[in-house]
Amino acid sequence: MHRRFYLKLLLVSSIALLAFALLAAYKEINPEWKHYQNNYKELFMKNAKDEAMKEKAKAFKVEVQQLYIEKLNRADRCVSCHIGVENPMMAKAEAPYKKHSGDYLGKHPLSRFGCTACHQGQGRATNKEEAHALEHDTHWEYPIVPLKHIQSSCAQCHDYAMLEKNGADKVVRGRKLFLEKGCLGCHKVDGAGGILGKALDGIGTQPRAYFPMRYIQGERTQSAWHKEHFLDPRAIVPESEMKASINDEEADFLATYILALKSTEMPREYRRIRQTETPDMSGEALYKKYCIGCHTTGRESYFDEIFNRTIPSIMNPALLKSADNQYLKKIVSEGREGTQMTSWKPTAAGLTEQEIDMIVEYISKDRPAAKPEPFDVAKFRADVKRGGELFNIRCALCHGKKGEGELGINLKNPVVQSADPEFLAVTVRDGRAGTPMPPFGKDGVGLKEQEIADIVSYVKTLSQKKL
Amino acid sequence: MSESTQTGINKFVGNLIGIKDSFLGSFLRSRSLLSDRSKAAVMVNNFFLHVQGAKTHINTLRPTYTFGMGLISLYLFFFAVISGVLLMIYYSPSLENAYDSVKDITNVVFGGNLIRNIHKWAGEGMIVFVMFHMARVFFTSSYKKGREFNWVVGIVLLVLTFILNFSGYLLPWDQLAYWAMVIGANIAGSPAEITDILGITKYFDFGGLQKELFLGGTVPGKATLPRVHFFHVMFLPIILVIFLGVHFWRVRKDGGLTKPDEFGPAPVDEKFLALPEKKGGIFPTNKTYGLMELAHGKTPAVDKDIENTVLSWPNLVWAEFAVLMLTFAGVFVYSMYINAPLKELANPLIPENPAKAPWYFLGLQELVSYSAFMGGIALPTLALIGLGLIPYLDREPQHVGLWFSNKQGKSVALQSFIVAIAALVGLLAFVVNFGWLRTWFTDIPQVAIILVNPGTLWVGFVMAWSLFIIKKTDSTRMGAIALFTMFLVSFVILTYVGTELRGPNWDFYWSKSQWPVH
Repeated sequence: MHRRFYLKLLLVSSIALLAFALLAAYKEINPEWKHYQNNYKELFMKNAKDEAMKEKAKAFKVEVQQLYIEKLNRADRCVSCHIGVENPMMAKAEAPYKKHSGDYLGKHPLSRFGCTACHQGQGRATNKEEAHALEHDTHWEYPIVPLKHIQSSCAQCHDYAMLEKNGADKVVRGRKLFLEKGCLGCHKVDGAGGILGKALDGIGTQPRAYFPMRYIQGERTQSAWHKEHFLDPRAIVPESEMKASINDEEADFLATYILALKSTEMPREYRRIRQTETPDMSGEALYKKYCIGCHTTGRESYFDEIFNRTIPSIMNPALLKSADNQYLKKIVSEGREGTQMTSWKPTAAGLTEQEIDMIVEYISKDRPAAKPEPFDVAKFRADVKRGGELFNIRCALCHGKKGEGELGINLKNPVVQSADPEFLAVTVRDGRAGTPMPPFGKDGVGLKEQEIADIVSYVKTLSQKKL
Repeated sequence: MSESTQTGINKFVGNLIGIKDSFLGSFLRSRSLLSDRSKAAVMVNNFFLHVQGAKTHINTLRPTYTFGMGLISLYLFFFAVISGVLLMIYYSPSLENAYDSVKDITNVVFGGNLIRNIHKWAGEGMIVFVMFHMARVFFTSSYKKGREFNWVVGIVLLVLTFILNFSGYLLPWDQLAYWAMVIGANIAGSPAEITDILGITKYFDFGGLQKELFLGGTVPGKATLPRVHFFHVMFLPIILVIFLGVHFWRVRKDGGLTKPDEFGPAPVDEKFLALPEKKGGIFPTNKTYGLMELAHGKTPAVDKDIENTVLSWPNLVWAEFAVLMLTFAGVFVYSMYINAPLKELANPLIPENPAKAPWYFLGLQELVSYSAFMGGIALPTLALIGLGLIPYLDREPQHVGLWFSNKQGKSVALQSFIVAIAALVGLLAFVVNFGWLRTWFTDIPQVAIILVNPGTLWVGFVMAWSLFIIKKTDSTRMGAIALFTMFLVSFVILTYVGTELRGPNWDFYWSKSQWPVH
């Protein structure tokens, strides 16, 4: 009769609490994995052929399963749902009851490797969404690796020779593409490579947060990022200058290899790097590694819209005719300041002297025997002012008003500035066959030798001009 | 011989049968709970109940007077303690294991996720309800007439609640924790702004000292976690319990909760309690009631307010029990459906953008974005001192126990509420659109920004407005109402802006969906 309000409140609260407590308890004793294990047990019973197997199936206990691998500091509860991975009777079952494919577990026992050492994902989680961690809001840095990229994990312990022999073709082909598409022209790996792009050491273990996922169409995972980025770099990172012309399949292979560039190593006892490969030191291989990304075949110059400049043809006979190996080596070693051409010396992009020599030799392999007609610059008294006037009329269109380069190369860079005046004069006179640079001497526009000497002297002053 | 054995067995069996009554009787120290005397004895004789009077004022039991805010805060603390003890069984306060152990709690400990959620939401719920409780105490003038110091104790409890919550926020060692720690450490180190200007940092680096005390180094790391853990599970809770004891004891000594000077039971009270049948008493209102008052027969009545009290057992006890279950049910259901956040493992190389403190500090972080020292140290200290001084600066004894004092109080509160919203939103809109001194004068000395920034201007405005109200109404109580109303509005608006409207680089965004996606 009295105190109705508080008694009612007490009653309603208590009933609500009891109801929700029961609901919570029900949820708690029926987690996702239990459902899978119950199904598995049923399947096991059904598939069991003989009595011994039936007994085994009957004895199967439904409980959280965990593989704790102390040496790898991993606790993998994947097997709470993927409960049949080691059961041969589950060869034809569906996921997650299915047996692990191939004989991988025979050589990589679960008790020693667990699951996430190869497959990534969140081993400690006990539900699918968080364990696979494909969604951004699962807050796990390493989502499960799609099977098409899974060979990236093999490379953690195995060398590429072994991988090639045993059919890990995807990661092997990815590596081949990586070395032959000139990726190292812009990216450093192990201290050697260009500096235009990011160093790629350890990129395979970089957390998801490192990758801008804004424009990713598929799952917001590292592997999807790499693939989409390979197919169209600027669609993913608008300000990127990366060149990539590869097809869908190649993008998959390359992504697999990139994921294999991990920063953390497996413990020594897990690794099986049997033979250290001797790297291919031929000029051709080195050219493909470091140069081909920009210079392509090296036979033709072309205007690159991303770099907004002409990439010169470095193997064209006209150049080789006038530039000796020492000059070429200087360009390769010092790079061309003010352009994308990297300095490749040991202290910069990290190539050895020997490697640079090999590259120069490769570039110059088709040098014509004939020397260019000499040009005795010293003979003329050059008029810088006149040279400037001529430069503005004849050269500025391609090389820019101040020689900063656009269609033509940047003339302010130190290699040009320190080049032998005769070399420059010969270039102006004869032009560069196979490039947009025409001959300006007597065979072409008809500049007199005096005028060429004037221009060369003016070009030599360009480095002092401010942009 | 056999006869005496028989008697002994009989006695034994008799005692065994009567064990329910005798045990209850010994527990309650009373045979039955039928008489007023025995009902009062239950309250007086029980260790846990005796902090409350044998009789309770009717006003106390009206739900619309207190809304049970203080009680709910206390219960939330209990839940946080109990769930916290359970979490401690599994949690490991080391850099290597902290994050994994929290993952294990959510994934494999039976009910672990729920327990963690209850701990989290009970703790954060304390902040909300302690603030509500403070507002109730303020608006009913319950900080007056002998209760001044208890108001100060309450402020200390409020601060402890904030620090306890913050220290717990750091324990999972995830990205949220790490970057909240970085922010906290930067604020702790911000007095360097002042010592730099004074040129005394190299002699007395107070900011650096504070920062190192908190982090145990210069960056959050191995040394940080154990000390934060110690503070969270030992030091702070013990201090909090001590202050809680003082807080309750003083309420009891001050005669229970406040009530209006003029009070009469209303018919509506029948809903909440059993109205007293007995009239008369011998004690004044500001004293508590002992057993003597309940003696049968006529006693001199010195204060008629005794008529307005009812027996605590069962009236108060049932009410408290009802609120307990309500609070429990609320926290439980909330925790079932809303998970406590747990982000990626802490990574010093990946700054969260925006790196935000927990929501209850985001109002301060908004102020910190103008000036770290002012927003993080000076202004909150000023606000706390200001709050603590309210009972000493407003000593008008009238209207205790009445919400908003009177009609004028209501209108002052409403005016202050509207003025505060308009002025603060206007100020923030200005800052968002036009920037502040640094935007206009890039070379301006830092000291100018420390002194003149939106935070200091706002605090100045609030103080000026309160003085204006005091002058206009000739009442310090009205000034206090204006000040406190504006404090609450500032807390809510700044917290909202910091939580919902600030995105990467602390830029303004109308909603999170407009953030540049990462």
